[in-house]
Amino acid sequence: MRGRRHLGFVAAAATLLAAAPLSTIYDRWTWLVQCAVVVGMVAGAATLVRWWRGPVWAQALGMLAALLFGLTWIFPSGEELLALLPTPGTLAHFGSMVAASGEDMRSYGVPVQDIDSLLFLTVFGVGAVAIVVDLLTVGLRRPALAGLPMLAIYSVPVAVHVNSVSAVPFVIGAVGFLWLLAADNVDRVRHFGRRFTGDGRDVDVWEPSPLAAAGRRLAVIGVAVAVLLPLAVPGMTSGLLSQLNAGGSGDGNGPAGLGGSPGRINLFAQLSGELNRSEVRDMVRVTTDDPEPFYLRFAVADEFRRQGFVPRTPNGEQVTARLPDPRDGPASQGISRTAHQASVEVLDFVMPFLPVYAEPVATRGVDGNWRYDPTMQVVYSNRASSKGRKYSFDYVRSEYSPQALAAAQSLQEGHSLRTLYTRVEESADVKALVDRLTKGKRNDYERVRAIYDYFSRDNGFTYQLSTEAGTSGHDIINFLTNKAGFCQQYAAAMTWLVRQAKIPARVAFGFTNGNNRRENTYTLTNLNLHAWTEVYFADIGWVPFDPTPAANVPGSLRSDYAPDPDRPDLPTPTTDTSAGPAADPSAGPEASSRPEEAFDGASADGGGAVQDNGPSWPMYVVGVAVLLALLLTVPALRRVLLRRRRQVRAAAAASTLATVSGGGDATPGVARVVLSESELARARADAHAAWDELVDTLVDFRIRVDPAETPRTTADRLVREELSDGTATEAVCLLGRAEERARYAREPLRHGPLVDALRSVRRELSAGADRRTRILAATLPPSVLFRWRSAAMDLSAGLVGLTGRLRDRMLRWSPRRILASRPSR
Amino acid sequence: MTQQTWDELGGALPNEQFRSASDAIVANIEEVIEGKTATVRLALAVLLAEGHLLIEDVPGVGKTKLAKALARSIDCSVRRIQFTPDLLPSDVTGVSVYNQENHDFEFKPGAVFANLVVGDEINRASPKTQSALLECMEERQVTVDGVTYELQTPFMVIATQNPIEMEGTYPLPEAQRDRFTARIAMGYPDSGAELAMLDAHGGRDPIHELRPVSDAVTVRRLIATVRDVHVADAVKQYAVDLVTATREAPDLRLGASPRATLQLLRTARAVAALEGRDYVLPDDLQALAVPVLAHRVISTADAQLARRTTDAIVSDLVHRLALPHERQRSPYDTRPPGSGDGTGRSQYEPRRR
Repeated sequence: MRGRRHLGFVAAAATLLAAAPLSTIYDRWTWLVQCAVVVGMVAGAATLVRWWRGPVWAQALGMLAALLFGLTWIFPSGEELLALLPTPGTLAHFGSMVAASGEDMRSYGVPVQDIDSLLFLTVFGVGAVAIVVDLLTVGLRRPALAGLPMLAIYSVPVAVHVNSVSAVPFVIGAVGFLWLLAADNVDRVRHFGRRFTGDGRDVDVWEPSPLAAAGRRLAVIGVAVAVLLPLAVPGMTSGLLSQLNAGGSGDGNGPAGLGGSPGRINLFAQLSGELNRSEVRDMVRVTTDDPEPFYLRFAVADEFRRQGFVPRTPNGEQVTARLPDPRDGPASQGISRTAHQASVEVLDFVMPFLPVYAEPVATRGVDGNWRYDPTMQVVYSNRASSKGRKYSFDYVRSEYSPQALAAAQSLQEGHSLRTLYTRVEESADVKALVDRLTKGKRNDYERVRAIYDYFSRDNGFTYQLSTEAGTSGHDIINFLTNKAGFCQQYAAAMTWLVRQAKIPARVAFGFTNGNNRRENTYTLTNLNLHAWTEVYFADIGWVPFDPTPAANVPGSLRSDYAPDPDRPDLPTPTTDTSAGPAADPSAGPEASSRPEEAFDGASADGGGAVQDNGPSWPMYVVGVAVLLALLLTVPALRRVLLRRRRQVRAAAAASTLATVSGGGDATPGVARVVLSESELARARADAHAAWDELVDTLVDFRIRVDPAETPRTTADRLVREELSDGTATEAVCLLGRAEERARYAREPLRHGPLVDALRSVRRELSAGADRRTRILAATLPPSVLFRWRSAAMDLSAGLVGLTGRLRDRMLRWSPRRILASRPSR
Repeated sequence: MTQQTWDELGGALPNEQFRSASDAIVANIEEVIEGKTATVRLALAVLLAEGHLLIEDVPGVGKTKLAKALARSIDCSVRRIQFTPDLLPSDVTGVSVYNQENHDFEFKPGAVFANLVVGDEINRASPKTQSALLECMEERQVTVDGVTYELQTPFMVIATQNPIEMEGTYPLPEAQRDRFTARIAMGYPDSGAELAMLDAHGGRDPIHELRPVSDAVTVRRLIATVRDVHVADAVKQYAVDLVTATREAPDLRLGASPRATLQLLRTARAVAALEGRDYVLPDDLQALAVPVLAHRVISTADAQLARRTTDAIVSDLVHRLALPHERQRSPYDTRPPGSGDGTGRSQYEPRRR
C-alpha cells in the first residue's frame, strides 16, 4: 500500500510537471498556484480513499468531489453554503465562466493576463487530467496510458501559439512522465521482493545485455535519422533547427522570426531588417481597380515607449462581421471617398496581420480567425499567420483637399483620442523645435504641414539605410540631430513632433507601391516595406503623411495636402529618381552605394533572369547523374590505376638487363652469385606485384581464391580448371613460380616476362567468363570492392574495440562503483 | 665401435652429385618395389632428414621389402630385428656378459648398433622391448649398465607394423610413435605395377641381386646437403601454424609435439632437396603433413565414432589453414562455405579445454 500511496503522489507531481507548457500562455504564475492546490486536493482525496481501501470507483468519486470543492473554493460565486458547499448557483457560475472563456480565448492573444474564466478552465482541465492520470496509474496500473491526458495539456500551447515556443517547459513535462514510468516500474519490481541494484556486489551494472545494447544502438540511429533526415530533405529546413539558429539573434523579434502575437512585434526592427537584406524576395502581390492606390498597410505603432513606438495589442470584431464604413459618417466638403476592390496574394510575408488598404469595408476569403481593429484599421489574428493567404476585399479610398483638412477643428483637451495619441516623452529639444516650427500657425493642418515640410533636404535631412549612433540615448532624437535615416526614422520622428504639437499621430507600416507594376497588379518586395505617419483630424479621421524623401522610396506617393517638400527645389521637373540624387550634392557620392536603388535595379533584372532559368532542376538532375556516374567509376578507376602501377613495376624490372642468369631452378650446393640486396628486394616486389595482380584478376572474374593454397597449387589449379591455352598455361606457371621463389627462396626469379604473362592470363580468363562477370569486372571490380569492404570492416572493428576499451576505462569512474559502499535498500 | 660421431658429416654435395646419388638410390629401390615412387622418395627423405620411418600397412604389400631394399641400396651396416612377443630389450640394445677369460663384463652390442635397423612387426613385441628403442631412436645412444654407447651415423630405424590384425599385438605407445619421423602406408600397387611385379618376382626375389649404390659416407654428405636447404620465415611460420592447428583442432584430443614441428621441417628440407630445390615450399609441408603428423595425434572419441581417421583430420586442417603472409595483404577467401568438409563444419574453431 505504501507503494501505491507513493505512486499516487508521483502521479500528481507528474501532472503538475506536465502542465509546465501552460506557462507559455500565461503572463503570471497564478494558474500554477491554483493548479497545485487543486491537484494536491485531488491526490489527497485519492490517498484518503485508498487508505480506507476504497475501490477504484470510490477513488474516482472522491477525486471528483475534491476537484469540485477545490474549484468552488478558488472560484466562488458567492452563493455557496458555508462558502464551501457548491450549490446550483455555483454550477451555473462555472457554466458561465466556461462560456466566457470561449470568447476570451478568441479575443486575447498570448500571453494572457490572469482572467478568471481562463484560469478556471485551466485549473479545471489540469484537475481533470490529474484525476485521469491517478486512475490510470494507481487504479489500473497502466502509467503509460497516462501520457495521453498529459498530451492533451501539451497540445494547448501548441494550438495557441502560431510559432514555436521554447522547448524547455515541454522537456519538464516529459521528465514528469518519465518519472511516473520509472516510479511505476520500480514499484512493480518491488512486488517480487527486494530490488537488486547490484550495489556493492561487484556486479557490473553498466555491462549491458546484448539486447539492451541493440536497443540503445537502435535508439541512437533512430534519433540521428529523425534529426538528419529533415535537414537533408529540401523544403523542411524551416523546422526546429533553423528556428533555433534564428532565435540566437536575441528576443525572437529578428527578421527571421516574423510573426507572433500582434501586440508583441517589434515592427521597426523587422522593417530595418528587411530593408537591409541583400536578397530581394517577393512578399505580396496585390491587384486593385484603383488607378493610383495609396500604400498597402498592415500595422500601426501607436503606443509610445522608451525605445520608441510600439503597436498596441489590437482589439476588435471578427473580420467576417460587418466592418465600419467611413461613408456612413457625415460627408464633408473637400473629401472624396471612392469604393474600390482589391485582391491580395501573400507570397512570403509572415505576420499576424493581413496587408490591406486603409478603411476596408468587406473581406472575402478570410476566415473567422482574423479580426479587424477599427481604430487601428488593421486586420490581425492572435493565432493565424498571413503566410500564403489569398483574399480580396472592398475598401474606400479617401482623398482630402488641403482646405478640408485646414477646416478641421483641433480636438479638445481631454478627448480620449487626444490623450491616447499625444502621449510622448518630454524632451526640451523636441519641444523647442516644435514650438519654433508651429509658431504662428493657425490650425492643425498648418502645424502638421510645417512639421512635415521640416523633413526636407533643405533642412539637411538625407536618406540612408544605416543610421549613426548619437549621444542622446534616444534613436529619434539622434535622427533629429544627425538628420540621416530612412523611412522608420522619418515616420517616427514626425509622429513624435506632431504629438508634441498636441495632435494625435501614429506610425503606420505597410508597403509602398513599388516599381514592379503590371497592369493593375503590384508585386511588392521586402524592399518596398515602408513606414509613414498618420495624423488624426477631427471628423475626418486618420490622414497619412509620408515624410520620407520621395526620391529615395520607389513607388512613393504624394498628395495635394502633403506635397513633396523637396520638389520645389528641383531645378528641372524631371523624374524624381534621376534628379533627386543629382540635385543633392551631399547625396551624390552615395548614389551608387544606396542599397535600395541597387536592389531595385537588380530586382528588375534579376526577376527576369530568375524566370528565364527557372526550371533549373534538369541541371541538378544531370549534375547528380554525372556525380553518380563518377562515383560508380571510382572502383574501376582504382582498379585500372592499381593494374597500371603494378605493370609499370613489373615492366621496369623486365627492362633491366639480365646480368646474371639466375633463372631456372637453383639447386642445392650450387655456388650462388651474390646480388645486391636492393636488387633482390626489387625482384621480390615485382613478383609480388604480379602475383597480387593475378589474384585480383581472379577475384574480378569470380574464380575461387583459396588462402590455404600455395602459389604453386593455385597455378596448378588454374591450369587444370580454367585455362586451356598453351601460352596462358605457361604464363600462369611462370607467375606461380616467380611468386613462390620470391616468397620462399633465397633468390627470387628475375627478369621473367611477368607483364606479358599477366596479360595473356587475363585475356584467357576474360574469354572464359560469361558476359555479366566480364562487365562487372570492368565496371565494379569485386577485388576493389572487397578490399574496401574489408577495410571498412576493419575500421569498424577498430572503433568498436576502441569504444570498448574506453568504456572499460570509464567504468573505473562509474558512480555505481564509487557508491558501492552505500547501503543497499 | 662407435667410430663416427653424429655431427661429423662431411661437406655438402654439389647439385649434380646430390641428384645422381639420390636418383641412384631411388632407382635401385624401384627395381624391387614397382610403381611406388612417391613412397620410395619419402622413405629416402626420412633417411636424409635423419629420422625414423614407420611403415604401416596390411600384410603382403612390401613393407619389409621396402625396408630391406633401402637398407641394401646403401652400403652400410644393416641389422634386422624380427619383433616377437618374447623378444627382450637386451636383444635390441645389447647386453653385458661376463667374460671368463679376462674376468670382466663385456658389452655385446644389440641389433641397434647398425646404420639401418629394420624392425619387422614392431607391434608384436612387448611394450618393454618397444621401449628399449626410445633412447636409441631419439638420442642415438644406448646406455647399458651405466655405460653409454654412441650409435653410428647415419642411423635409421625402419619399423613395419600391421594395423589390421590386433590379436597378440601391443600398439605402440604415444612416446614411441612420436619418435618416428613419418609413417607411410604402402598401398596396393596398381594393376600395371602388379603385372610387372609378377614378371620380376616370378622366379626369384630380385632383392638378392640388389647391389648397394651408395655408402654411409655419401649418405652423410647427402644429409649435410639437406641441412643446408633454405627455409624462409614464412615457411617456418606455416609449420608452426600447422602444428598449432593440430593442437587446437576440435577433433583432436592430442596435438602434435614440438618435436613434430622440428621433424616436419627437417623432412621438408629433404623433400625439397630431393626435388632439386634449395628452398622449402609450403607445398612440401602440405605434402608431408599427413605422413609426419597424423600418427602422432590422437583423435577424440567423437571423431573416432564418426570414423574420421587422423589422416583425414590432418589433411582437412591443411586444406583449411591459410598461408601466412609476410606482407600485408587483404586475404581473399572466396571459397564456398563448407567446401571439402565432410562434417559440414564450415568454420574452423579452436577447441576449448
